[in-house]
Amino acid sequence: MSFHHGRESRAERSTAADSPRYCDGYARRSFLRLGLGGLGGLGLAALLRAQAGGQIGLGAGRARAEEAASKSQRANGNGSAADGAPGDDNHRPVKAAAKRCILIWMDGGPSHHESFDPKPDAPTEVRGIFDPIDTNVSGIRVCELLPQVARRMHLLTVTRSVAHHDPGHGGGNHYLTTGSPTPTPIGCGDSASFHPSIGSFIAKERGAPAGLPAYVQFALPSALRSGGPNFLGSKFAPLLIANNPNNPDFQLPDVTLPPGLATGRAQSRAALRRSLDSLERIADAAAADPARGLDSFHDQAQRLIASPLARKAFDIESESERMRDTYGRTMVGQQCLLARRLVEAGVPFVTVQHAGWDHHTNIFKYLKDRWMPIFDMAFSALLDDLDQRGLLEDTLVLALGEFGRTPKINKDTGRDHWPGAMSIVAAGAGLPRGLVIGSTDRLGAAPEQRPLKVEDYFCSVYRKLGIDPHKEVITPEGRPVMIVNGGQPIAEWF
Amino acid sequence: MATVLDGPLPAAEPSAPSMAVATIDFDEDIVPILTKAGCNSGGCHGKQSGRNGFKLSVFGFDRDADYQAIVFEGRGRRVFPAAPGSSLLLAKAANRVPHGGGLRLEEGSAEYRRLSEWIVAGMPRTDARAPRLVSIDVQPRQQVMRPESRQALRVTGKFADGSTRDITRMAIFTANDKTLAAVDRDGIVETTALPGESAIVVRYQEMVVSAFVTVPIADTASSATSSTTEGPRATSAAASASATALAGWDRSRFIDRLVAEKWERLGLVPSPLADDATFLRRATLDLIGRLPTVEETRRYLSEPPSDARRERLIDRLLAAPEYADYWALRWADLLRVHREELGPRAAHAYHQWLRGVLERNVPYDVWVRQLLTAEGGSETNGAVNFFRAFKDPNDLTVAVSQVFLGVRLECAKCHHHPYEHWGQDDFYGMAAFFPRLQRKQAGGTEQRFFVADKGDVTHPLTKAVIAPRVLLGEPLSIAAGDDPRERLAEWLASPANPFFARAGANRLWAHLMGRGLVEPIDDMRETNPATNERLLAELAREFTEHRFDLRHLLRTIATSRTYALSSTATGPNARDTRNYSRAYRKRLPAEVLLDAVCDVTGEPESFTGMPPGTRAVQLWDNRLPSVFLETFGRPQRKTVCSCERLGDSTLSQVLHLLNSPAIHDKLTAPSGRAARLAASDLSPADIVRELYLTALSRPPRPEELAAALAAFTAPEATRHTATEDVLWSVMNSAEFVLNH
Repeated sequence: MSFHHGRESRAERSTAADSPRYCDGYARRSFLRLGLGGLGGLGLAALLRAQAGGQIGLGAGRARAEEAASKSQRANGNGSAADGAPGDDNHRPVKAAAKRCILIWMDGGPSHHESFDPKPDAPTEVRGIFDPIDTNVSGIRVCELLPQVARRMHLLTVTRSVAHHDPGHGGGNHYLTTGSPTPTPIGCGDSASFHPSIGSFIAKERGAPAGLPAYVQFALPSALRSGGPNFLGSKFAPLLIANNPNNPDFQLPDVTLPPGLATGRAQSRAALRRSLDSLERIADAAAADPARGLDSFHDQAQRLIASPLARKAFDIESESERMRDTYGRTMVGQQCLLARRLVEAGVPFVTVQHAGWDHHTNIFKYLKDRWMPIFDMAFSALLDDLDQRGLLEDTLVLALGEFGRTPKINKDTGRDHWPGAMSIVAAGAGLPRGLVIGSTDRLGAAPEQRPLKVEDYFCSVYRKLGIDPHKEVITPEGRPVMIVNGGQPIAEWF
Repeated sequence: MATVLDGPLPAAEPSAPSMAVATIDFDEDIVPILTKAGCNSGGCHGKQSGRNGFKLSVFGFDRDADYQAIVFEGRGRRVFPAAPGSSLLLAKAANRVPHGGGLRLEEGSAEYRRLSEWIVAGMPRTDARAPRLVSIDVQPRQQVMRPESRQALRVTGKFADGSTRDITRMAIFTANDKTLAAVDRDGIVETTALPGESAIVVRYQEMVVSAFVTVPIADTASSATSSTTEGPRATSAAASASATALAGWDRSRFIDRLVAEKWERLGLVPSPLADDATFLRRATLDLIGRLPTVEETRRYLSEPPSDARRERLIDRLLAAPEYADYWALRWADLLRVHREELGPRAAHAYHQWLRGVLERNVPYDVWVRQLLTAEGGSETNGAVNFFRAFKDPNDLTVAVSQVFLGVRLECAKCHHHPYEHWGQDDFYGMAAFFPRLQRKQAGGTEQRFFVADKGDVTHPLTKAVIAPRVLLGEPLSIAAGDDPRERLAEWLASPANPFFARAGANRLWAHLMGRGLVEPIDDMRETNPATNERLLAELAREFTEHRFDLRHLLRTIATSRTYALSSTATGPNARDTRNYSRAYRKRLPAEVLLDAVCDVTGEPESFTGMPPGTRAVQLWDNRLPSVFLETFGRPQRKTVCSCERLGDSTLSQVLHLLNSPAIHDKLTAPSGRAARLAASDLSPADIVRELYLTALSRPPRPEELAAALAAFTAPEATRHTATEDVLWSVMNSAEFVLNH
C-alpha cells in the first residue's frame, strides 16, 4: 500500500493551508488542474475549415492537423475510435513519434468547465461565472482563466470527450495513471496498485541513458498513488523527488558522497557492503521479496552516485533567473522547468504534480486566485521552451487529472467529482496542432461527439511512444497481462 | 448454457430459471432485471440526474422511486399495458427505438418476456405483505477447481416466510481476479491455467455473497486434462508433499490449525521455523518497536531452545515499557494526534492518554468506550481530543466506522454506497450519535466538551431529523439529557456488533504477519472477503472471549508457530503471498528504523523541543521536522487510513542511508559506537562480533567475519575507518532494514 500523504515542505505549507480539503478529508497533494475549456459551441468541422483557411499559422503541424481532421470527421461519423483506424492496427510496428513524455498530473480532478470545455450557453448553475475567450486558433475557445494557454492553442490537441465510471480519487487515479480500472472498488482516499503505471511501463520499454533514472516523479505534496511499478518491480519504480525545486537550496539529495569521504574508501566500503549483505534472497519474482527490491535500488543508487549526468540534469540553479521566472516561481512552475531539463538530458518519463484540484467548495475563487494562474503560466512556459529547443517535435506533453467535475455547481459553490466527462490536453510528438477532438453535451455532462474511453487515450500515448499498447507482458506469477486492455488509438492523434 | 461442466454441479440442476413465478413482483422480478442489464448503473439512468429524462436509483436501492419513474413519469409512455411492445421501457431496452445505451435486452429473452408480462399484468407494485428477501446464498461456496475448468454457480434467495427461490439468472457476478477465474453473466466460473485463489462476488439487490474458487498450486504442475473424478482436494504430487510436510505440524493452536488447513487445500509446504536470533529480532521489533540489545540477545541465545522460551520472550516484551510507546505511536497515527491541528498541549494530553491506556492494558473495548464518550477539558482529559481531531458528526462517523469497525462509510455520506448495502440512512444514523456534544472555550488554548440536552442531525436531502442508529440496528430514541454516545459505545463491544472484534483482530494480525487477512485492513465488506475467513472469525472470537485484551491477542498470534516461520522460501511457497506459509518480510517503519540507526551508531537523535534521549517512537508530535522520517514514510495523520504509513522501499531511502550527511555524522561521531569500539582494546574480530550482535542480533558467520576482518588490513585502512566501514555496511544491508 502506498498512499503518500501531503508531504509539504515548509515553504509550501502556507499554500497548502489555503487549499480546500479533499472530499474525503485528505488535504493530499495539491493537484494539477487543467483548464479544459473548449470549442465554445463550434463544431469540429468549422474548426477544420478555420484551420484550412489559414487563419492561424500552423506551420509544420498544419498538414498533420488537416489530415487528422479528416480522420476525425470520419471517425465522428462512425462514433468510435476503432472505426477511425481501419482494422486493428495496434500491432503494426510504429516508429516512435515521442522519445519522451512529461505528464502534468492534476491531482484531484480539474474542472473541465473552467478550463478547456466551457459551456457559456448552459444555465447559470452550470456555466459558472467565467466567460470563454478566443484562442489563437479560430473557433476554439477556452475559459478566460487560461489567457496564456489561449495564445498557444496552436500547439495543443484537446480531447474533450473522454469519460469513465469511477468517481473516487483512488480508483480514478489508478485508471488515469495506469490505464486500467481497479478490479474491485476502492475507497476515495485509498491508493491502490493493480497494474503498473504508464511511467513504469515506459521506463521498462524505453530505458534511460546510463546514469540517469528512467522515470522521475515529483512527489510533493506526496507521491502519485498508483504511479508505481506494481509487478514490474522496483527497477521501474519512479525516482521520487520530495523536495521542492522552488526552494533556494534544491538539489537531488544524497547522490554525493558525504563530505570527507575519499572516493577510494567509498569504493572499497561499497564492495564490503555487497559482500556483507547476505540475507538469503527469494529468487522467484512472484515472492516480491523486498530484499530484492533493495538490491535493485542499490544498483540504481550506485549508478546515480557515479554519474555526473543526473546531478547536472537536476541542477536547476544553472537556469537563468529569467527562465525561472517565466515558468513561475511556484512549485509547479519549477517542476515543469526541471522536467524540461530532465527530458532534455534523456529521462524518458517525468511526472509533474500539480495537486489540489478537488474543489468541492469555492471553486471559482480557488481557481481564479491560485490554481489556474499557476497552471496557465507553467504549462505555457513549458510549451514555449520545448518548442524553442526543438524538443516539442518528439516530446509528448500531457495534462489531466482523474476525472472532470460536475456540471451543476453545488451548494458550497463547488463542483464535485464527475468521471462522466473530462478533457485531456496533449501537445508535441507530432500531435495535431490546434485541434479539439470530440465534444460534450450542452451541460458538459457526457460526451456527445466522439465518445472515447480511458483505454483509447492510453493506447494513443503508448503508440506515440512507439510501444504496442496491446503487447502482453508476463507477470512474475506467469499471468499474461496486456499493457492496455482494450481500446484503440485515437485516430486524430496520428 | 451449452457448456461442459467438469466441476461437481450444485445439488440441483440449475432448473428452468425461476422466471415463471405465479405473481410478478416489482422488487424481486423487475428491478433485478434492470440492475443486471445495467439500466440503473451510475453511468446510465442511475446517474444522479438520470439520463435523458429517465432516472432510476443506483442499483435499484430506492424501489418506490423507481416504480414511480417507470409507471407514472414519462407521460405514461414508458409502459403500455394495452400494447406492451410499444412501451418505451421495452422498445428502448431492445434498441427498437434509438437508445443511447444500445441493446440491453434481447427481444424474446426471458428477461424481456418477464418485463412484458409485468406490463400486461398492469404493472403490479410489490404486495406490501409479500415476504421480504432476507438473504442470498451461493453454491458451491468453496470450490477447489482444476486449471481451465468450469463450474456453475447457483444463487438462491431466502425470504422472510422461509421460502427460497433460485435467482441465479438475475444475480450479478463479478470476479475479483480475472487472471485466475472469470465468470460470465450466467454464473459459470472458468479458471485459467494459473493457480491461486479468487473470489466471485455475487450481488442481488442489496445483498452480496461471495463464492471462493481455489486452484491448488500443485495442480497446475500436472496436466489440466487428468482424470476428472478426483475429489475437491489438491490431487497431485505437491499435495501429497504438503500432507507429508504437515504430518508433524503442531495443530494445538487454532491459528496453526487453520492456516494448515488452507495449506493443504492449496498444496503448500510451509517454511521451517526461523532461527532463534531471527525470532528474537522479529518479535522485539514487532511488539516493542526496537532492536534487541546485545545483552538481551546474548541472554536469549544462551537459553535452551523451546516453545516455552519463545513464550517467555513474548511475555517479557509485552510487559516492557516500550510496548506502550510503540503502540501509542501506532494508534496516534489513526486517531490523528496532530500538533498543528490540536495545539501542542492538547496533542500531548491526547497522546499521553493513549499511552496510558495501553500501558495499563485497559481492554480495547473499554478504552474505545472511554474515547467515544469523553467529556471535559482538552488539556485535562486527553481522550476528548478525539472530538477535536474529528470535528463534526460526519468526520466522526467516518473515523469511528473505519478505525473501529473496519467499515468505510464515506461514500454513503452523499449517496447509496454503490457496492455495499450502506446508504445515507446508515451514515447519518451513525452521525446522529454525536451532535449533542458541544464545546466551549475554557480559557487559554483549552476547550471544554459537554453533552447538551439536544442536538440533531438532519438528512441532507429530506431534511428529516435522523434518529441515532448503529449499523444494522434499529433507530434509537434518546431521552433529553442523555448522551447518545453512550448507546453507541455500549453497542461497540456487544455481541450484536459483528464488526468490532473482527476489525481489531485483523489490525493486530496484519501488524505482526505483514499482511491483513483482509486488505486493505480497514475496508471489510462482503465484496472484499478475507483470505482465511475461518481464521479471522476465530481470532475475533478469541479477542472477544478474552475481554478484548490486546496483549492477549498479540500473544496468541506471536506464540503461534505460524508467526515463527522463516522468511526464506522452500521452493513453491515463494509464490505464497497471502497464506502465511512463510514469514513476510517488512521494512522497518520510519520511526523504528531511525531509532535502530541511532542505537547501532550509538548517537541518539535530538528532536527539537523534546527532552534529551527521546526516541522517535516516543514522539507525540508527528510534525517535528525530520528528513529521515519523511523519507521513510511517516504518516501525516490527516486521515484514519492505515495506508498513510508507507512500508515500501524507495531509491531515496536507499540513498539516504548510504550517503546522507546526517547519518554519516552519527557514524563518525567521536562519541559514537564506531569510535568507542575502535578506541577499545577489543580485537578486530571482537569488534565485528559486537557490531553484528548490535545491528543484526546474531554473531557473524565465518565468511562474514573474514570479509569484515579484511577491511581492517586493507591498504590505508585504520582500525577506526575499518570499524566505521563495517558498521556502515551492515546498516545498509537488507537484513538490517527489513524485519525478516
